[in-house]
Amino acid sequence: MNDSPSRAAPPRLETAVKAAGARRLERSNTLFRQLTFGSALLVLAIFVGMFCVLLYGAWPALHTFGVSFFTKSVWNPVTEKFGILALVYGTLVTSALAMLMALPVGVGIAVFLTEFCPRPLRRPIGISIELLAGIPSIIYGVWGLFVFAPFFQRTAQPFLVDVFADAPVLSSLFAGPPYGIGLFTASLILAIMILPLITAVTRDVFDTAPSVLKEAAYGLGCMTRETVWKVVIPYARAGVFGGAMLALGRALGETMAVTFVIGNAHRIKASLFAPATTISAAIANEFTEAVGDLYKSSLLAAGFFLLFITFVVLALAQLMLVQLEKRAGGMRV
Amino acid sequence: MTDNPKISIRDLEFYYGKSRALHGITMPLHERKVTAFMGPSGCGKSTLLRVLNRIYQLYPNQRAVGEVLLDGQDILSPAQDVNLLRASVGMVFQKPTPFPMTIFENVAFGIRLYEKLSKAQLRDRVEDALRRAALWDEVKDKLHMSGLALSGGQQQRLCIARTIATRPEVILLDEPASALDPISTGKIEELIHELKAEYTIAIVTHNLQQAHRVSDYTAFMYLGDLVEFGTTEQMFGDPKDPKTKEYISGHFG
Amino acid sequence: MNRARYERRKLNNTIFLLTSLLATAFGLSWLLAILGNLLISGITHINLDLFTKMTPPPPGEGGGLANAIVGSLIMSAIAVAIGTPVGILAGTWLAEYGRYSRFAQVVRSLNDILLSAPSIVIGLFVYELIVATTHHFSGFAGACALAFIVIPIVLRQTETMLLLVPNSLREATSALGAPTAFIVQRVIWRSARAGIITGVLLAIARISGETAPLLFTALNNAFWSTDLNAPMASVPVVIFQMAVSPYKGWHELAWAGALLITATVLLLSVIARIIGSEDKHR
Repeated sequence: MNDSPSRAAPPRLETAVKAAGARRLERSNTLFRQLTFGSALLVLAIFVGMFCVLLYGAWPALHTFGVSFFTKSVWNPVTEKFGILALVYGTLVTSALAMLMALPVGVGIAVFLTEFCPRPLRRPIGISIELLAGIPSIIYGVWGLFVFAPFFQRTAQPFLVDVFADAPVLSSLFAGPPYGIGLFTASLILAIMILPLITAVTRDVFDTAPSVLKEAAYGLGCMTRETVWKVVIPYARAGVFGGAMLALGRALGETMAVTFVIGNAHRIKASLFAPATTISAAIANEFTEAVGDLYKSSLLAAGFFLLFITFVVLALAQLMLVQLEKRAGGMRV
Repeated sequence: MTDNPKISIRDLEFYYGKSRALHGITMPLHERKVTAFMGPSGCGKSTLLRVLNRIYQLYPNQRAVGEVLLDGQDILSPAQDVNLLRASVGMVFQKPTPFPMTIFENVAFGIRLYEKLSKAQLRDRVEDALRRAALWDEVKDKLHMSGLALSGGQQQRLCIARTIATRPEVILLDEPASALDPISTGKIEELIHELKAEYTIAIVTHNLQQAHRVSDYTAFMYLGDLVEFGTTEQMFGDPKDPKTKEYISGHFG
Repeated sequence: MNRARYERRKLNNTIFLLTSLLATAFGLSWLLAILGNLLISGITHINLDLFTKMTPPPPGEGGGLANAIVGSLIMSAIAVAIGTPVGILAGTWLAEYGRYSRFAQVVRSLNDILLSAPSIVIGLFVYELIVATTHHFSGFAGACALAFIVIPIVLRQTETMLLLVPNSLREATSALGAPTAFIVQRVIWRSARAGIITGVLLAIARISGETAPLLFTALNNAFWSTDLNAPMASVPVVIFQMAVSPYKGWHELAWAGALLITATVLLLSVIARIIGSEDKHR
C-alpha cells in the first residue's frame, strides 16, 4: 500500500484487507465476550455454591436431629446433642430490638437531612454518615466491650432493674445481675452499627420523591410535618421498608458487633440483661474449637439457616427497592 | 448528470418495538454526491440514517425490514458482518464524541482496528485524515493532548477525521453542525463540499438553508413517509408535493 | 380560617422539627462517642513498635502488630487481585452484553444479595471449600474469603459506572466498525475508570476491617509468616483475640489496632470519594 498524505490518494481500503482485519477482531471479540460471561457465571456459581456447600456440611446434623434441631435449645458438645432454638431466639431478638431502636432514629435523621437541615450542613452531615456506615463492625464490638458495657453495668443497668422491679412484665424483662453484656447491650451496639446504613438508604429514598410533588404540597399551605407524613413518606414507603429490610439483613448476619457483648450463653431467658448468643456469635466463638463432626455440622447447619433467612429478608428488600426505582423512573438506569 | 446509486433503499420499514417509524422508504443515494434528509423532528430522517450502518442494532427491539443495497449487496441480510459494514459506512454524530484519549489516538483508533501498520505509516495516515478534515494545522503541535480539550467545532472535525481515517466509502452525518457555532458550521459545510469528491455522503439536517447549500439531492420526509425525493435544485426550486412546498416556504416544522 | 387549628398545626410542626433534630443529635452523638473513645484510647499506643514488632505473648507488654499488619496486607492484596478482575468482567457483561436479558437480572439480584450476605457465612463456605479439603488453615483461604467479598462490590460499582457512560460513545465507537470488545476495552472502561477505581478502593476499605470470614480460614498466627499455605495473622482477628483476653497489654494493642483499621477505612473512603467526585466534574 502506498500511503502518503497527499490529498489525491484514493482513500479506499481493499475489502480483502478489511475482511482479514474483521476476522481477527471477531476472534478477540468472541474471547472477550466469553471471558466476561464466564465471570458473570462465576458470580452465580459462588452464590449457588455457597448454598450447596453449606447444605452439604449441614446434612449430618439436619439428618441426625431432624425437626428438633430447630425446636430445641439444647447445646451440649459432650453428649453431642444440638438444637439451635436459643441461637435463633438470640438472633431474632437482638435484630428486632436493634431495628426498633435504630429505625425511628435513622428515619428521623433522614427527615432532618432532607427537610430541615440548613443547606451548607447537608452535605457534610450526609457524608459523615456515609463514612460511618463504612466503619468495620469489629470497631463497634470493641467499643461495646471496653466502653459501653462497663459504663452500662455501673450506671444504667442497676437503675433500670430497680425502677422496673415492681412492674409486672417489665420486671422480668429487666431482671438479673448486671453483667453489662447481654441481649440488650448487643442490640444497642447493633442498632448503632446499622443506624448510618438506615439513614443513608432512607435519605436516598426520600430524595427520590419528586420535588414537584413536595412543591405542590407546600403550595397548598402544608407545613413540613404534613408534607413529610402525607407526601414524602407515602411516596417512599416501599423504599423505606426496603431500606429497613436491608438493615435487618445486615443485623441478622452481623457477627463482630454482637460477639463481643452478647455473653455467649446458649439459654433462652426472658430478661434482656441476661447473656445469650446468636447464630453468628456462636459460629465465631465455637467453630474453630468444635471437635467432632456432629458439632461442626451443627454449626454449619446454623450457618445455613442464617444464610437462608438473610436471603429471604434481603430478597424482600430488593423487591421493595426495585419497585421504588421503577416508579422513580430508573434510579439505577 | 450520470449518477450511479451507491446505495439503494427499497421498501424499508423500521420498528421501535411495535411502533412503525418508517413506512416503505424507497430511494437511492448517488455515488460521490451529497444527499440531504430533511423534515420536521420525528419524521424519521435520523432513523433512516441509522439503518444505513445498522447502528440501531445496538438496542434490542429495534428492527428494520426491507432492502438496503450497498454496491448491490443487501446490508440488512443476517450474513452481513456489521463491523465490516460500519468500517465502510462511517458515521458522525450530532454531538461531538471524542474518545477519552489523545488527539492522535482518537484518529489512530479506527485505523488500528483493521490494519497493522508501521509507526511511520500510522503517523502518515493520521496526518492525512486530519488534513482532509481541515484540522491538521490547528492540532499538529498538540497531537498528544486529550481530544476532550478541543473546542466543540474542532472536536467535530476530529470525529470526521476519525471517520475518514478508516477509509470508508460512505459517510453518514447526523446533524453534524447543530451543536456548533456559525463559524464552525461554515467550516464543516466547506469540508462536506470537499469530501464529496471522494465519498458518498448522506446528511440529516433540519436546517433548510444548510440542506440547500451542501446537498446535490434532497429527500423530504414527514411522519415516517418519504414525501418527495429529487435533486436539491428541483426540490427547492420547483417542489412537486404541496407538503414539500409548504415546508420549504417555512409554513410548518 | 380556624385560628386555633392553625396554631395546633404549627405546634405539631415544631414538635416534629425538634424530634428530628433530637434524633440527629442522639444518633450522631453515639457515633461521635465511639470515634472519640477510639481516638483517645488508641492514639497513645500508636508508635513505631506497632509496625515493627511481632504480636507479644500474654500478658502482652511491649509488642506490636507487625505480623498482623503484613498478613492483612498480603491477604487483602491477593483478594483484590482475584476479586477485581472477576468483578469488573462480570459487571461489564451485565452492562454491555447482558443488559436486558433475564439471566443478567438474576445475576444482578443475586449479586446484590451477596453484597449484604453475612460475612461469617462466607467464612464457613471457604472453610468447607478450601480448609476442609486441604486439611489446614491458610492465608490463601483467608484471601479467597475476602475475594468473595470484593467481587460483589466491584461488580456493582462497575456496572453502575458503565451504565453512566453515554450511549453516544458506544455508537461512535461502533460506527467505526469496532466490535463490542474493543468498544469496551478502549473507550468505555477508559471513560468509567475513575468510578471503577472508586469501587475497588471501597472494596479494599470493606475487607480491611472484615473479621468474621478470616476466623476459620486464615485463623491467626503469633509469628511472622508470609507463607500462604500456613495460618496467617490479620489485624482484625488479632484485635478480636486480644480484646476478649484478660490481659491489659493486649487490650492496649487491640485499641491501637482498632484505631489503625478505622483510620485506614476512613482514609480509603475519603480518597475513593474524591476520585469519584472528580470524575463527575469532568
